Amino acid sequence: MHPQLESIFDEAENRYLHSEELTVLSQYVNSLPERLETYRKLRDNELDMMQKVADQLHAEMPTEEIAVLELSIKNALLLLRHCSMGMLVNDVGFVQNRLLNWIGQTARVYNTQTVDARLYRLLNQQLTQVFTPKQLSLLQPVLTTAQTALLNQHSP
Amino acid sequence: MISVTDLLEDDRIPSNYFATDAYVRGDVELGILENRQGDRLIALPETLIQGIYAGLENETGQAAWLVLFNCGRWWGKNFYTRFQEAISGYYNKPLSEMLMVEFLQALQQCWMTHGWGKIELDQSYQQQGFLIIRVWHSPFARFALKPDRPNCHLEAGILASFFSQLARRELHCVQTTCESMNADCNRFVLGLHRRLEPVEPLVTKLDHEAIMQRLCQ
Repeated sequence: MHPQLESIFDEAENRYLHSEELTVLSQYVNSLPERLETYRKLRDNELDMMQKVADQLHAEMPTEEIAVLELSIKNALLLLRHCSMGMLVNDVGFVQNRLLNWIGQTARVYNTQTVDARLYRLLNQQLTQVFTPKQLSLLQPVLTTAQTALLNQHSP
Repeated sequence: MISVTDLLEDDRIPSNYFATDAYVRGDVELGILENRQGDRLIALPETLIQGIYAGLENETGQAAWLVLFNCGRWWGKNFYTRFQEAISGYYNKPLSEMLMVEFLQALQQCWMTHGWGKIELDQSYQQQGFLIIRVWHSPFARFALKPDRPNCHLEAGILASFFSQLARRELHCVQTTCESMNADCNRFVLGLHRRLEPVEPLVTKLDHEAIMQRLCQ
């Protein structure tokens, strides 16, 4: 859960919540229907979107080893699934703790930076076609943070 | 053509089994902590480690390090079995078929999640028949009773036993640097017993590089 919300619940024994804190909570609760809808849409369109990305990626990088392309796609699937959950619970840290160090290391060992960068561009294009601007605004903070962190991890 | 469906295994992609928030669970009502396999975990207070060290030193004197090493071996043997079961079940393939990077990542994350510090394998002496393991922030170095020699005997035992089972050969482990002696990390050398035995008395006299040179002569 978002650290700001989590810290609110830690205050139960100390005091009642201030109006500003309740506002943060209400904002999250009000955003939940849209978050759930975005999550469902991601779940239902995952394979279709990622297959299009995979086809485009292969077409754009025909000389790249299939094993590297597949690894990059697998990592992107993991990333998308974790970002979907991170979006649902409004917590960028969720992706960091569960996944970034993990796939960052694989990506470094197999040197997939160039492929990853291109894949993210294609994936983000797919997302803009499937989701509304409002839905994208929920997903993008988590996704952009994760993608940027992973691409930067490659840099020496 | 790459089929995305084929990249998924039963609609999933196994990744970070030992991720802390997914791995450590508990039942508050029963008062227990468990891992995601349902095996019990306990929080080990630092003062208990301190007490074990002091008690062993009092009761057994010089033999204390050997007792700890053997306890570590016992622990390592069981740790390997559990690690192997957990990982092969999760990845749906035997440990021997896992990619080296997958195995290493799992071991490193497992070490961190249990609070044993950060572990790294250095294979630069592989050709000579040795594996170097580095561990940072070890809980076993902190309460060393003898700051004049490496003190992570438990860990040396765990590593010897774990990697013996992995390599299916009886391996020994000698610690060459220790955080308790103000080293940057704890370094362990794994190899055959007869090759490591001669350098064991040298760990208080020579640094890691000099010991490795001696081993590789």
